[in-house]
Amino acid sequence: MKIAVLVKQVPDPNAIRYDRRLGDLAPGTPQATNEYDLYAVEAALRLKEQLGAGEVVVASVGPGRETLNRCLAMGADRAVAIEGPSLPGDSLVTASVLAAWLRREAPDLIWAGQETSDAGTGNVGPQVAALLDIPLVSNVVGWEYSDGVLTLEREIEDGHQFQQVRPPALLCALSALDEPRLPTLRGIMEARRKPSERISPADLGVSDDELAPVVSWEGLFVEEESATGVVLQDVDPDQAVEQLIAFLQERRLI
Amino acid sequence: MSQARVLVVVETVAGEARPAALELFGAGRPLADRLGGDLVALVAGSGVQAVAGLAGTLGADRILVADDPALAEPVVARVARAVETALAAADPELVLLPATTLGRDLAPLLAGRFRAAHLVNCTRIQLEDQAVVATRPVYQDKLLTTVRAPRGRRIFITARSGAFPVPEPQPGRQVSIEPLAVSFTEADQAVTVTRLVEKPKGQTNLESAPVVVVGGRGVGSAENFRLVEELAAAIDGAVGCTRAVSDLGWRPHYEQIGQTGKNVRPKLYLGVGVSGAVQHTVGMRGSDTIVVINRDPNAPLVKMADFAIIGDLFDIVPRLTKRLREVRGKA
Repeated sequence: MKIAVLVKQVPDPNAIRYDRRLGDLAPGTPQATNEYDLYAVEAALRLKEQLGAGEVVVASVGPGRETLNRCLAMGADRAVAIEGPSLPGDSLVTASVLAAWLRREAPDLIWAGQETSDAGTGNVGPQVAALLDIPLVSNVVGWEYSDGVLTLEREIEDGHQFQQVRPPALLCALSALDEPRLPTLRGIMEARRKPSERISPADLGVSDDELAPVVSWEGLFVEEESATGVVLQDVDPDQAVEQLIAFLQERRLI
Repeated sequence: MSQARVLVVVETVAGEARPAALELFGAGRPLADRLGGDLVALVAGSGVQAVAGLAGTLGADRILVADDPALAEPVVARVARAVETALAAADPELVLLPATTLGRDLAPLLAGRFRAAHLVNCTRIQLEDQAVVATRPVYQDKLLTTVRAPRGRRIFITARSGAFPVPEPQPGRQVSIEPLAVSFTEADQAVTVTRLVEKPKGQTNLESAPVVVVGGRGVGSAENFRLVEELAAAIDGAVGCTRAVSDLGWRPHYEQIGQTGKNVRPKLYLGVGVSGAVQHTVGMRGSDTIVVINRDPNAPLVKMADFAIIGDLFDIVPRLTKRLREVRGKA
């Protein structure tokens, strides 16, 4: 089985700092692999291992060399970086470029993270499914594959819903799936010899129309209304706790 | 009946509207008025006639009812077919959906099919002559951005839960209620639902507890939750957690509070290492008093808090537990 995994390199969500003057993230924010994507890679690797054969191909739109290398070191067989002057556009542009690549690859199954930690639209997975006209199963927290049928456990408002589908399908991963493996030293060495391709939207025959964003972003800002409550910062822990106790007593909560 | 301008997709479960879907009337009615056209509601589900009546009282001018056993369960391809059928019937400029797990699947799926814009999880929606401009949270709710989609083609918008108030019901409005027959393709039925394991009720009395102590990812490990448990015991509170925590297996799922977990409205909510992603805050925003202990002064939950201590929870929580035991005579 050929399994494609869509991954993205994002600003490290634990290192996000806002620069009020720039109206943007502080320069030099470290990059990381989007967390849900790592769970998607792990799921793809486990399915390949279960079947004892197959190929796991990872692809990323926009800058993502470190992320793709990490996926190769985890055990993916091949990586594709899609880069071009019109990228990144909006989610539909990303989905269009990925769909063009996926049409060329014709994988049996596609995994993606549920959403990214940066823009967090959650659009790309469903839009790729729409453009390829294949079934979409999102919010996946568990899976089984047997007799050509995927059984997927989804976390939704009402509980855990189990869906079945025959590949091809696009699956969106949450972090309740199996913990992503850490790259081993051997994996890192082997990754260097694995095929890694860099292509442009033009190579894939993506049209200018498809590369034109339909949604534009206009900078970042923080909620102007600051906290209305008491905020203790840089206060000695013992003092802070005493003030909290007094607050709770005043409100008759203790 | 004038031209349809805005379609709201009323998601249902077990014959009832999802609360987030009713908030769409609060967002959609002013938009339809600005555009000078009808607000059309699609009610999709199985056994949903009562919801259709409710939609009329909340401000819809015209209600399309897709009542079909195939729509009894949330399966995105089937509900998407119902929405596409409604789009063909009403031809709206704006399509509003709730930012539920289903809505967040439906909107991008349809936006992909129509090559249209999807403005995601919006907290504000403004109409300009040439564009729809919306505010939405990004970077896991730590920051906001403004997104813009040009008018003149259809725009899909998901509305964030809690951002728009449900209008006061007005009984006796004259509305048209029409059945909407949906023909499903074979592809729409490629995914089948085999079962639903409902949210475990759990042993905790989380939903009725007057005091709830919640640990988030900042707690760091399953072992560290001992600190949260001890704090909860010292203040006679129930322990809850965020989705990140239950997904990581640090705590059982029945302790999860939020969109895919439980809703709580305690007298006192005490969050430890909880940043306050909307997934979580929709399940606790009704709490009377919110106290937060967090390292990050920019965490969204700090903004919601009545009292926040910015600091290392490993410094604060043991001290707080000890003082609570002393004050409450449990030392």
